[in-house]
Amino acid sequence: MAALVLSFISVPLHAAQEEARVLMLYGIDPYLPPFLAMDRAMRESLASAPDRRINFFSESLDSQRFAMEKLEPEMAALLARKYKGLTVDVVVAVSQTALDFFERHGEQLWPGARVVFVGFLGYEFKPSALPPGASAVLSTLDVAGTIEIARRLQPDPQRIVVISGMSEVDRRTEGQAREEFAKLKEQRSVEYLSGLPLAELEARVASVPPDSIIIYLAQFRDRDGRPYEPHDVLRAVVKASRSPVYGAAETFIGLGAVAGSVASYESRGRLIAEQVRHKLAGGPPDPGHTVLAAPNRCVADARALQRWALDPGRLGDDCELRFAHVPIWRQYWWQIGLTLAVVAAQATLIVALLSQRRRRRVAEQAEEAQRTELARAARRATAGELTGAIAHEVNQPLGAILTNVDTAELMLDSGRDRREELRAILGNIRRDDLRASEVIQRLRDLLGNHKFERKEFDLNGVVSELEAIMRAEARRRGVTIEIRRTPDALAIMGDRIQIQQVLINLVLNAMDAVAEEPEARRAVEVSVAKSENGALLTVRDRGHGVSPEHRNKLFESFFSTKRNGMGLGLSITRTIVEAHGGRIWVDTAPGKGAVFRAEIPLVNSNGALSPNPA
Amino acid sequence: MNETPLIHVVDDDESMRSALLLLLGEVGFEARGYASTGDFLLQPLPDRPGCLLLDMRMPGPSGLELQAALQKQNIRLPIVFLTGHATVASSVTAMKAGAVDFLTKPVKRDVLLDAVQRALARDAAQRLAREGADRLHARFAALTPRQREVFDRIVAGKLNKQIAYELGVAERTVKREREQVMAKLEAGSAADLGRLAESLRAADR
Repeated sequence: MAALVLSFISVPLHAAQEEARVLMLYGIDPYLPPFLAMDRAMRESLASAPDRRINFFSESLDSQRFAMEKLEPEMAALLARKYKGLTVDVVVAVSQTALDFFERHGEQLWPGARVVFVGFLGYEFKPSALPPGASAVLSTLDVAGTIEIARRLQPDPQRIVVISGMSEVDRRTEGQAREEFAKLKEQRSVEYLSGLPLAELEARVASVPPDSIIIYLAQFRDRDGRPYEPHDVLRAVVKASRSPVYGAAETFIGLGAVAGSVASYESRGRLIAEQVRHKLAGGPPDPGHTVLAAPNRCVADARALQRWALDPGRLGDDCELRFAHVPIWRQYWWQIGLTLAVVAAQATLIVALLSQRRRRRVAEQAEEAQRTELARAARRATAGELTGAIAHEVNQPLGAILTNVDTAELMLDSGRDRREELRAILGNIRRDDLRASEVIQRLRDLLGNHKFERKEFDLNGVVSELEAIMRAEARRRGVTIEIRRTPDALAIMGDRIQIQQVLINLVLNAMDAVAEEPEARRAVEVSVAKSENGALLTVRDRGHGVSPEHRNKLFESFFSTKRNGMGLGLSITRTIVEAHGGRIWVDTAPGKGAVFRAEIPLVNSNGALSPNPA
Repeated sequence: MNETPLIHVVDDDESMRSALLLLLGEVGFEARGYASTGDFLLQPLPDRPGCLLLDMRMPGPSGLELQAALQKQNIRLPIVFLTGHATVASSVTAMKAGAVDFLTKPVKRDVLLDAVQRALARDAAQRLAREGADRLHARFAALTPRQREVFDRIVAGKLNKQIAYELGVAERTVKREREQVMAKLEAGSAADLGRLAESLRAADR
């Protein structure tokens, strides 16, 4: 069992005969963005041309945060245990700290491993420290190139200011810059801001006149020995500055620096991959040091160029313009936004206008249908109210018919020849039958699916047609009804059934109004007359009248003073009257009854509607 | 006096009215039609047996109102109501007020004629009772004022001695008047007098 487990554990160890092992030894946090970019590029490059399968190991000394001097013995012991029996082919030492650690412990921890040193910046490089056979991938600090790029963008600067710190690296870099300027035979005086505490540095930068060139080399420490993170210092400088700031490290571009001649981390990653592959290929150890400098190239920040109104065209074709896609939006955000808004508004307006036009057309068609439908709904409600009257109107002829039939039977049974009497009775039966079917026809007209019709008809006729039903209802309710017509026809144009509805609504309303009165005083008067502006239909009751506050609301939908009122009757009545070009109004006072008048324009002799001033 | 029944038909609907008159005539009744309650009230009512076929709802005074008016005038003509649209309330009112029946149109011949027969029977009974009451009234009218005083007291159960004392006359006089009252009213005993008094009160009611 133990042997089985051991054999499993030992599988990768034995398999290691075939695979190559590469240890990434970082002096500082390997998860910093530049290292991630570099690492990704390296692995991609190695994977694209695999000679052997590579197993990557990774260790971080994290010397930025932890004191190496104190931890180093334990760390070395731990690593010794970890890598015991494991052959590491190549150690990639990133940063000077890692290289130093390897110098002290490499032989013991990873015997036989060959070294690729990755120098973070040019000023870190100490060639003497490289172990034999090691390679170094270095990025150089291209101060000259950066100056040249700055002069391309700003041929005639007000002033030239160089910012650097007071650490050893800072001093070296500044020295390099001074040499470069000397070589350029710069006519203008170059001002050096070296090792200023941050607050003072910001104030000095702010006082630099516009259109100057500021070159930020990096500041690790100020003159008081205070340590800084160079990128933070750059941010502060960019914020305070009224002139463009240039930097020679890739990570400076993007933080506000306009441009610089920088080595990309990706290119460094590819160079590392090349060296690793070379070492794994097992070529003979180079007695000397292989030193490779990652190529520097012009990189510019399009946003920063925009900020300082610098022309990207001056940079040349070899210059990589970064963040360009963002600035286009940022540069024109309000124009683009405004344009989009205008387009959207126009589109919305057009759609709205189109749909409005369509809605209006539909609405116009729907209006008549709706009025018809609403009127029918109201007619149905009316029909419910009129049930008693209808039953009476139908039962009356039916009753007469039955009685006549009974009588005729008796006559036939009498055995005498009573043909004449029977004929008379049959005549009565026919008359009553027609009368009953007429009632039903009227009922169907009143309730049926009736489309709005536009025909000429006599207002008196409408009153006549409904007289029987009005009288029947009046009788049922114990109401006296008086009906007056004009001798001459009053021709109006419109829908006869709807005008019937108006009449029925007003009459039922009037009957409701007098319902509480003693029977002797329950009186309703319906009259037709010719008025100045047309035909006038008047319905008068002697009921309780309407109070002034209710009077104005009478014709509104869903307003009702009746206990069970729906409040649709008068609203529909008004709608119908107005649809016929007429108007309806009421004269009323509490206790004095109410007079509803509907005035509908007459049709002239030539068939046209008479002008209606109302 | 004509003893053939006369049937009064009050209906505003001309068709219905004439059909009813035809039918009633065919089965041998004498019938008379009226287009409204007002028409009926305006016509002199002959003193004949009969009944009233009355439409419930008509323009102007309704059938129920006619019923109430006739009662007020002490006209005991039995009423058969006819209606196209019966409501519980109106039928209850009509029946409470003594209607013979309450029929809904269209009405079957047998149902109608049956109701008419019952109405006529009731009328006959009423007339008979009224005739008896009328005879009683006539006999009562024959009493002298003094005899009426005596009659009232006998009916109240008083003794001759008490009556004599109340009226301030001799007991002998009371006795003689009492015999006269019994003779005029054709009564055999004081108990007969009590029943007569009851009938009179009923007839006057």
